[in-house]
Amino acid sequence: MSNKRQSMMPPAPKPPTSLSSSIVIAEHASLTGTKLIMIGSNTVIHPRAKLNSAYAPITIGSTCIISERSQIGILKEPEDEEEAEPVVIENGVVVEVGAIVEARRVGEGSVIEVNARIGKGAVLGKHCKIGPLCEVAEGEVLPDFTVIFGNGMRRIDNSGVEDLKMKMVARQVEVLRKLIPSNIAKFQ
Amino acid sequence: MTSFTPYTYFQCPCTESSLPTHRLSDSSPPAENESSDDERTFDPRAPRANYSLYPLEHLFYCEDCHQIRCPRCVLDEIVTWYCPNCLFEVPSSTVKAEGNRCTRSCFQCPICIAPLSVSSVEAPPSGLGAEIATQSGPFVLNCGYCSWSSKEIGIQFEKPNGIFGQLAKVKNGGGPILTAKERRKDREDRKRDFSGSSVSEIREETPEIDVPREPLDPNEKLDAESQFSNLRAFYQSQLADASPVSALGFTGDYGYGSPGALSRIMGLYTGSTAFDKKAKSKSGAMREARDALEGLQITPSSDEEALVKLHAEGWHTTSSCSQRAEFPNSQAQFIDDLRPVAYLLRTKRSKRCKTCRHILSKPESKVQTTRFRIRLVALNYIPSISLKPLSPPTSSSSSSSLLQPMRPVQFLLTFKNPLFDSVKVTLATPTKTPGRFASKVTVLCPQFEVGANTDAWEEALRENGSRSSTSEKRRTKADFLEGQHQAEAGKVWERGRNWVSVVVEVVPASLSFQGPEFLKTEERRQGEGDKEVREDEDVLEIPVFVRVEWEADSAHDEAGGLGASKEKEGKEKRELAYWCVLGVGRIARD
Repeated sequence: MSNKRQSMMPPAPKPPTSLSSSIVIAEHASLTGTKLIMIGSNTVIHPRAKLNSAYAPITIGSTCIISERSQIGILKEPEDEEEAEPVVIENGVVVEVGAIVEARRVGEGSVIEVNARIGKGAVLGKHCKIGPLCEVAEGEVLPDFTVIFGNGMRRIDNSGVEDLKMKMVARQVEVLRKLIPSNIAKFQ
Repeated sequence: MTSFTPYTYFQCPCTESSLPTHRLSDSSPPAENESSDDERTFDPRAPRANYSLYPLEHLFYCEDCHQIRCPRCVLDEIVTWYCPNCLFEVPSSTVKAEGNRCTRSCFQCPICIAPLSVSSVEAPPSGLGAEIATQSGPFVLNCGYCSWSSKEIGIQFEKPNGIFGQLAKVKNGGGPILTAKERRKDREDRKRDFSGSSVSEIREETPEIDVPREPLDPNEKLDAESQFSNLRAFYQSQLADASPVSALGFTGDYGYGSPGALSRIMGLYTGSTAFDKKAKSKSGAMREARDALEGLQITPSSDEEALVKLHAEGWHTTSSCSQRAEFPNSQAQFIDDLRPVAYLLRTKRSKRCKTCRHILSKPESKVQTTRFRIRLVALNYIPSISLKPLSPPTSSSSSSSLLQPMRPVQFLLTFKNPLFDSVKVTLATPTKTPGRFASKVTVLCPQFEVGANTDAWEEALRENGSRSSTSEKRRTKADFLEGQHQAEAGKVWERGRNWVSVVVEVVPASLSFQGPEFLKTEERRQGEGDKEVREDEDVLEIPVFVRVEWEADSAHDEAGGLGASKEKEGKEKRELAYWCVLGVGRIARD
């Protein structure tokens, strides 16, 4: 499981990938596993972000930001025989530092804050925001615009500024493109 | 519950006598010279003790009274008001006029209390010169934490600064809030309209300001402020009608606040005839408010509305108790009744001794600095006391940190002297702790001297010359490691530059009620009826009376003026005596 050691060994088993040519992926990002990892255009993968497709494939949309030390993908082997559900992250999603995402689907424009945790099979609607250190239980389904904050408190955000937020994410991606040296070749 | 940290609390002398303590320097402890009633030991379990015991860090020391001062016997004075968010100082005149809220742009989220930030609704300018271009368009307050935005309650701002002023003019939903002046004007206009007497003339006179006004509804809904102002105007006019000119010659315009009006009201109630009978006869003419113009609001209609809304939108649109508590004047039942909360101002305070009015603590008035100009804390005047078990807990065979009943335990009391003069300490404890479960306490060395808090360097250099003190220290430590050293009565256990440790032996009481008869104290026998160990009764607390004596330089101001000859004999004997409580630990139940 230790990703650090694996990356140092010469014959690192690379997972099958389908990466858009316009993504920014840092050399120290770690893509492990055996199933397919798909990443859409203009997505930024920070160094030390961990994408693990050992038990289920991962699909990440376009213009997403996956921050460092975040973990995407099913972490544990499913207990029963059936296959673990694939992890799908839609367009314009920001996964902050240290967040753990095992969700079945993360809706468009959602923000998963620092050290938040999203359980297996959960479905997040569009433009959700999971606050720092908040948790979404396994299999939970959140409607669009849900905000989880504080001590598990919830509300529906109807401020109607989601377009603005999506634009801001796109701009952030542009900045990160200048800051993070990309090395797609390593992962293809 | 299982973990217990030993503690030391100090008793402030202010509770000992109800009369304010005068200059009690060189006073003998009150227990000695007062009647037998006061010759009791201090009982830390007495209900009153809660109010007089403080950790040393909370106490002050008045240099003039030479006494400990607790938070209960100091006076607070506000030095500055400031906003905790923008750290701007607010002058007291503004506080009086505008209230104790930040009047700039600092707001808290009404949902989650996180600070709100101002941002534009429009997308930020991009392209060439985007850095220089200022953001335009309507602005909103939004919360970075729960992503609440003032757009949700229909409030937008034109400018990104001075939000407080802008918010004061906008109702939830975007409607304008009238200022008091506008409200008065509006009310007068409406009254004229309502009375219908001279509508036509006014309309003709001022056709240009004849804005289409909403139809006048005697049951119209008012917000809290306009209801209040309507009511006030109504009662003022009623009062003015009742007595056009009062006995003292004031007109009714002064309202309730004027002394004339007050005495008139008092006259109404007492029925005294000192004031004119005219007022008495006229008082019957007052009537109550009749419609919305006069400030009457009939609430049930709003309740029905709320019910309908609750049915339609559900529980999650209602505000929680804590959210509602921010708006005591309006009934913010729903989320969209909430408004951004302006930051409450904080204060910096100076403290004065209640007895002699000398300043004990005064912070720097600048908001950003955390320094103090004056800070007479007890920590710098009174030896601190720390407590620890003599034998390290790892060697003890008992599994837990609980004290075993009827088994003697030794504790190390360490006194650390913060003064630059050496200090003589005398300890006194009752042989048995007060309360139903009396533990036996013995201080092995009740009288000792603690060295001055001199410069550490100086001490180190001196120790080079004569190694006596260090060698003594080492010996005791070595002996202790061998386990042969026994605590000796009358001898200090260990001594350092400005600290001394002495040993206290404790025999914890048994918490069972079936002990042999001779072990039972008087109180325990009385309390036989209730055989439960009450809450925290298993905590072993030892009251200790501490007397500190030292020779200080006599008051600097006087000595300085009188010259060098006085300075030599300028030593003054000081004495301070107070009760302390040592929380030792919990006694195991058997």
